[in-house]
Amino acid sequence: MRGLRKYLTPFAPDQSGAVSVLFELGGIVVICDAGGCTGNVCGFDEPRWFEQKSAIFSAGLRDMDAILGRDDRLVAKLEDAAQKVDATFAAVIGTPVPAVIATDYLALKRMTERKINIPVLTVDTDGMELYDKGEEKAFLELFKTFAVRKYPVDEKRVGILGMTPQDVSDLAAADKIRDLFRQKQDMQAVCYCMGDGLEEVKKASSVSKNIVVSPAAIATAQYLEKIFGTPYEIAYPLVEELLPEMDYTNKKILVVHQQVIADSVCRELQNRGAESVQTAGWFMMKKELLKAGDIALRDEDDYIELVRSGDFDIIFADECMKQMTADFDGMFVNMRHFAVSGKLIGR
Amino acid sequence: MSRAYYCTVKELNERGKDNIPDQFKSNMHLIYSSPATLAFNSPGAEGFGVKRAGLAVPDSIMLIVAPGCCGRNTSLISSMREYDNRFFYLMMDETDIVTGRHLKKIPKAVVEICEGLEKKPSVVMICITCVDALLGTDMERVCRKAEEKVGLPVRPCYMYALTREGRKPPMVHVRQSLYSLLEPAKKKGNVVNLLGFFSPLVDDCELYELLHGAGIKTIHEISRCRDFEEYKTMSEANFNLVLHQESRFAAEDFNDRLNIPFIELRRLYQTDKIQNQYQALASVLGVKFDTEEYRRTAEQAVEDFRKVCPDASFAVGECMNGDPFELALALLKYGFKVPEIYGTITVENFVYMKQLALLSPDTRVFSNMEPTMIYYDPAQSGVNITIGKDALYYHQDCPGLMWNQDEQPYGFAGVRRLFEALKGCVE
Repeated sequence: MRGLRKYLTPFAPDQSGAVSVLFELGGIVVICDAGGCTGNVCGFDEPRWFEQKSAIFSAGLRDMDAILGRDDRLVAKLEDAAQKVDATFAAVIGTPVPAVIATDYLALKRMTERKINIPVLTVDTDGMELYDKGEEKAFLELFKTFAVRKYPVDEKRVGILGMTPQDVSDLAAADKIRDLFRQKQDMQAVCYCMGDGLEEVKKASSVSKNIVVSPAAIATAQYLEKIFGTPYEIAYPLVEELLPEMDYTNKKILVVHQQVIADSVCRELQNRGAESVQTAGWFMMKKELLKAGDIALRDEDDYIELVRSGDFDIIFADECMKQMTADFDGMFVNMRHFAVSGKLIGR
Repeated sequence: MSRAYYCTVKELNERGKDNIPDQFKSNMHLIYSSPATLAFNSPGAEGFGVKRAGLAVPDSIMLIVAPGCCGRNTSLISSMREYDNRFFYLMMDETDIVTGRHLKKIPKAVVEICEGLEKKPSVVMICITCVDALLGTDMERVCRKAEEKVGLPVRPCYMYALTREGRKPPMVHVRQSLYSLLEPAKKKGNVVNLLGFFSPLVDDCELYELLHGAGIKTIHEISRCRDFEEYKTMSEANFNLVLHQESRFAAEDFNDRLNIPFIELRRLYQTDKIQNQYQALASVLGVKFDTEEYRRTAEQAVEDFRKVCPDASFAVGECMNGDPFELALALLKYGFKVPEIYGTITVENFVYMKQLALLSPDTRVFSNMEPTMIYYDPAQSGVNITIGKDALYYHQDCPGLMWNQDEQPYGFAGVRRLFEALKGCVE
């Protein structure tokens, strides 16, 4: 049945993706909910939350706030928090409750900006889309708000767009990418939203090119190209470390991950002699990377059918999917995807 | 420099319960979420939230009908062995919200899930969330439809975070749902139910012995019911003991539907008050309880702890099995210091403020959820030991106890176990 899950828990929702983008940037992040969504984001979908303090708040909506549409109360609470907490911006992240009552985020933004002296971002997530949709909206809002000034281009700097724990499933990935670029190309990699703060977002026009590691950031890369002329490539620089050393020649392989990583893994496997590589994904499939035969998965039955009919030798996917096809007798390689299982690589 | 807001107990006592500062009222400010307060701010995120509580009926399963975000963190629970293959999801999208079509899918989904299970569940709990609260969904009706299709009991379970401070918050409602399956049965004079927790009291809790000594043969707790048949015998009880105030509505339901009256007791850490409470219970039951030995053992544990930590200076949090104000008062009465409490002030725990103010007027009370808690600094607190997950988080360099275990400490056994554990953590 469409929408019924018997094996997998729901994937990271759009609001978690939006928070993931903004988490490290020093803003007041207000999740416009009654408390449960914030608990989900903090307690599950944002692994950095356990390790560093951050100004993530719940709006603490109650039934009468929703029924009466008391946005002014939220604005007053935000004003109060902005006086108490040092922050460079405020962001309001949507959830199902404001979606049901059709909150006007633009009005909310204007009302709040009149009261506080910091920029206000709003992201109209609704908890029903997936994390990448929320990331896409948040990346665009972030760069449109802060990357407004044209800086001289530094040929030794490259921007990494789309880095979030949801996408790369590894809290050390940003450091690894910086090391990789420094050692192999003598370049400085700027990992937006994962290790490099808001100042780097403001100086986004100074990088010589952007590397896009997640489909959610493609729209932002295109925006930066249009505004500043910054070219972009789509690839995951750490792809090699995702593949265990083994003989892939003449193997029929299925790869399930977010589209950029799946595509990079696919190309790497083809280079290593795989007979065929089928890529599939639960999340957004951008036309920029879409190949004939790529499969968009929606329900558990789609995946089960794909594996049963695919005659694969090897599956690369998050381990939590293994239980859906217990009769699969090939090799299952655990390629973690935090947005799917909520687990990081190596943990 | 910004600092975390607090009030001393003296100030709070002087202001009175009708003049509590806005910083302590969760509807007056944004709610700060720290790892310390996750379970409190989001009751479904850790411990026994609605989802886990809803599966307290033996052999039950749960279908969560909600946007994906509401079910996301369930994998934390479903990875626990006892919940394996018990959570299922029917994910809503925007069209569902506009048209309500998800309601028609629920009976079919229940049938599909049950057909795929090796063993038929005892009951299917349908968990719905804020979205359906706003849509005004009549889930009772949908459950009846599902029952007709699947031939099993199907019950609603409301995870309405929006109503957390309402008359019937989610954790109150879920307790009612859990017992709604019980049918009237012939009463047995020697059977009693303990209501309040979703996990059992500590095995060595004296309450069991006291009740047995008073002629009670069978003591039911939902978490100790081995199967659905045993659960059903809870309706044979002569009376209920309510050990947590959130079970009051459920107990009233028992009274109205099954004609089982209830007596309410509190979890306390003051040994004199525990004894008084037992004596009051004994007089209601028309028996005598000899509690001296239990009290002596508990107070001996306090003294044993004092020997290893005579200068104990406590921070007491609210993320633990107890009321932080009552526990702080107990610690003060035992002669320890309590410089800090992290808690939410309610009408029910404000009663301790007067005595706290007498014994330790300068004790600082922090509001866990207030935005300035992001700046909490333990440096000048004078705290050297902590109780509660939140207190432990704020004082990471101090020894401390989370004291939020599933197995419920209660009565003198609770006091004894607490001080034994405290002794263990400083030795």
